[in-house]
Amino acid sequence: MPNLNNYRSTVTPTWCPGCYNYMVFAGLQAAFSALNIPKHKLVINYDIGCAGNMADFLNTYGAHTLHGRSICMAMGEKLVNPDLTVCVIGGDGGIYGEGLNHLIAAARANTDIKVFVSNNYLYSLTTGQTSPTTPKGSKTKSTPNGNLNEPIDAIKLIENINPHVFAKRVDGRNPLELNKSIKEAMEFKGFALIDIAQECIAFGKQLKS
Amino acid sequence: MLSKTFTLKIAGPAGLGIKSGGQLLSKILIESGYSVTDYNEYPSLVRGGHNAYQITFSNTKAFAPHYNVDAFFAMTPGHWKTHVSEFTKNTLIFVDEDPKTLNLKKGKVLNLPLKELSTKLGSNLVANTISIGVAAYIFNLDLKIVKKLVAATYAKASDLNLTAVETGYEFAKDNFSKYRFKVAKGKKQKSPELYDGNEAFGWGFIQGGGNFYAAYPMTPATGTLHFLATKQKEYKLTVVHPEDEISAANMTAGAAFAGARAATGTSGGGFALMNEAVSLCGVTEIGMVYYLVSRPGPATGLPTWTAQGDLLHAIYSGHGEFPKVVIAPGDLDESFEMGAESLNLAAELQTPVIVVSDKFVGESSSNTKDLSKAKVKVKLGNIVDKADAGFKRYSLKTKTGVSPVSIPGTPNGEFLSNSYEHDEFGFSTEDANLSQEMFDKRAKKIQTAIKLAPKPILYGSDKAKKLIISWGSTKGVILEALKMMENEEDFAYLHIKTLWPINPELETITKAFKEIIVIENNGFSQLVTLLKSQFNFNPTEIITKNNGRPFFPEEIYAKLK
Ligand SMILES: Cc1ncc(C[n+]2csc(CCOP(=O)(O)OP(=O)(O)O)c2C)c(N)n1
Ligand code: SF4
Ligand SMILES: [Mg+2]
Repeated sequence: MPNLNNYRSTVTPTWCPGCYNYMVFAGLQAAFSALNIPKHKLVINYDIGCAGNMADFLNTYGAHTLHGRSICMAMGEKLVNPDLTVCVIGGDGGIYGEGLNHLIAAARANTDIKVFVSNNYLYSLTTGQTSPTTPKGSKTKSTPNGNLNEPIDAIKLIENINPHVFAKRVDGRNPLELNKSIKEAMEFKGFALIDIAQECIAFGKQLKS
Repeated sequence: MLSKTFTLKIAGPAGLGIKSGGQLLSKILIESGYSVTDYNEYPSLVRGGHNAYQITFSNTKAFAPHYNVDAFFAMTPGHWKTHVSEFTKNTLIFVDEDPKTLNLKKGKVLNLPLKELSTKLGSNLVANTISIGVAAYIFNLDLKIVKKLVAATYAKASDLNLTAVETGYEFAKDNFSKYRFKVAKGKKQKSPELYDGNEAFGWGFIQGGGNFYAAYPMTPATGTLHFLATKQKEYKLTVVHPEDEISAANMTAGAAFAGARAATGTSGGGFALMNEAVSLCGVTEIGMVYYLVSRPGPATGLPTWTAQGDLLHAIYSGHGEFPKVVIAPGDLDESFEMGAESLNLAAELQTPVIVVSDKFVGESSSNTKDLSKAKVKVKLGNIVDKADAGFKRYSLKTKTGVSPVSIPGTPNGEFLSNSYEHDEFGFSTEDANLSQEMFDKRAKKIQTAIKLAPKPILYGSDKAKKLIISWGSTKGVILEALKMMENEEDFAYLHIKTLWPINPELETITKAFKEIIVIENNGFSQLVTLLKSQFNFNPTEIITKNNGRPFFPEEIYAKLK
């Protein structure tokens, strides 16, 4: 029986009730446990945002990085010590906006880091502004007249940049699929990106789907 | 004294081996027993333009390149034009033009038909080696030494280049015999190796146990990236050229967190992008080194020229308040020292350490000991190799402000390196008391840093009439100017190696002098601003220069005498 508590800190999660990040949280622990990764060999880099707030809820080695720079730190760690299992957890704003250049560089290098993006199509921690994945036309706090930009399809983008990496979109509402995909990404030898499609309970209603 | 120091310069378009030929000549002069210091000027271009390489050599220590040139070689017609102010009435000016047609009223203009001579040898690329032959004759160098080094440098075309040297030497003998300089014989140099400041920093980094370097190319810092990249295999280094400076700095922070002795390098523009990471290192207490090699800004500025314009940028880098260390090498040997010392300070203090150099120190060469064999002390700081459950990475129980750190992979040492304010384990906090305590804990490192960081050096007597104060690359120029002074004993000279935090000793030293002259290679005299912010400081004279060029000893001499 896997011991999930092993990876947990004593901090009570602060996400909104019903937030889909709880499922990512559970899925990651299930995968770490199933793959028997000792927590001292696990380094998780958290971007800034609701997704990245998982930082306080786990008890492995971790870095709550600057916004957009979680992948940079992960790259440094993995290059220095390939023995470590190195993960990144972030939002669509941090990974596809502020840090997109780093995502592309990491995929080109095919460095063995695992990037999990809670893609809720919004900047949620900052109370719901448009993000790089927000559907065109959506009204958000920063685009009250409708977002004018085409959204990024990160999976297509990364597959285009390097077809040899693992890149997959999953429905974040489906725990079985989510858990299976996280495990697949962890087992893949090389760079892996999972785009976890979510709905932000607090601010997501305003989006055009 | 002065007559024992000579300066020669080679100038021409890029692509003619101005720098490689010049460096070869530097090596020849070292082997011939002289102390050398060089200086090169080049535009931000790959072909063409105007390049110049200058060597000042002496049978005593040559601290800095002189402005006035004794022998000048123009590789192609016209390339003497921008140098006329450097000529004196005694300068030998070798041109591949008819001297009579040039309206050049200074110096002795002599025809050296480089094109004709090199065409005869069947290559238009040997103008530089022909000139070396001429220089060897003019400065009375041992031809055996010259040939040995030419053959070693151009191993693939040694016959051609040896013939070129002989051609130059013979031509000079036939035509310039009455212009030969009386050069004092050299004596075997105890420091026979030629490096530039960027390589010296790289060797210091290697000897100091450095093993991770990430940098995005930016002149004049790129030399260290190139140098360390060639040493990766031999010294087991990880050297990375990432997508941008933001990544370079954050990646290096990740590397340092994962246990590396790590540095990133850049110039002012790249450092602007790294500011966020400096702040990150402050709060997460990640010890890493930022090697900032300045060029004149603002913005893209003068890419291949020099300035000391980033001192306050470095000191005030990073948002928020946190301890950091800023040190600046004054010359090649200090670049080496600080390559290692910065890693030690980063490890012992667990905070960002910024080494501020500039084009003048970073890309100028002189002779020193064999740095590949130089040993330095490596200090690892407070790293735990075993931890008990409940390990407190940010323990508040510390007198120095430094808490024990574990490296990922160490069982029970798990912690969060958190960019948010945090508790002793690294978990986020917004608690008022704890936030203050954490700030105070980190602030204690300022006193610790004052104890550990390099101390200022006072040259001369504290009873001298006047005190000169400077930091960084002006050191050699000031020492060389003092060498020229008839009343050298009237001056004391304070060279400040640690610019932040400010050592209280500086106040004590400066108080003892009534007349104080500050010399800085920038426009707003940033050191003066800095010292005024720390204690009652009123220099009597401030000498600045901000046109992309370093100070020259003659300039300082004229101002001081
Ligand atoms: C440099 C910087 N810019 C802006 C912010 C403010 N900020 C915090 S989270 C965030 C966006 C978060 O969006 P996302 O990455 O999608 O995460 P989510 O909250 O949606 O999970 C921003 C802009 C910051 N912390 N740092
Ligand atoms: S704001 Fe949205 S993303 Fe953030 S915790 Fe609440 S539901 Fe989750
Ligand atoms: Mg989001």
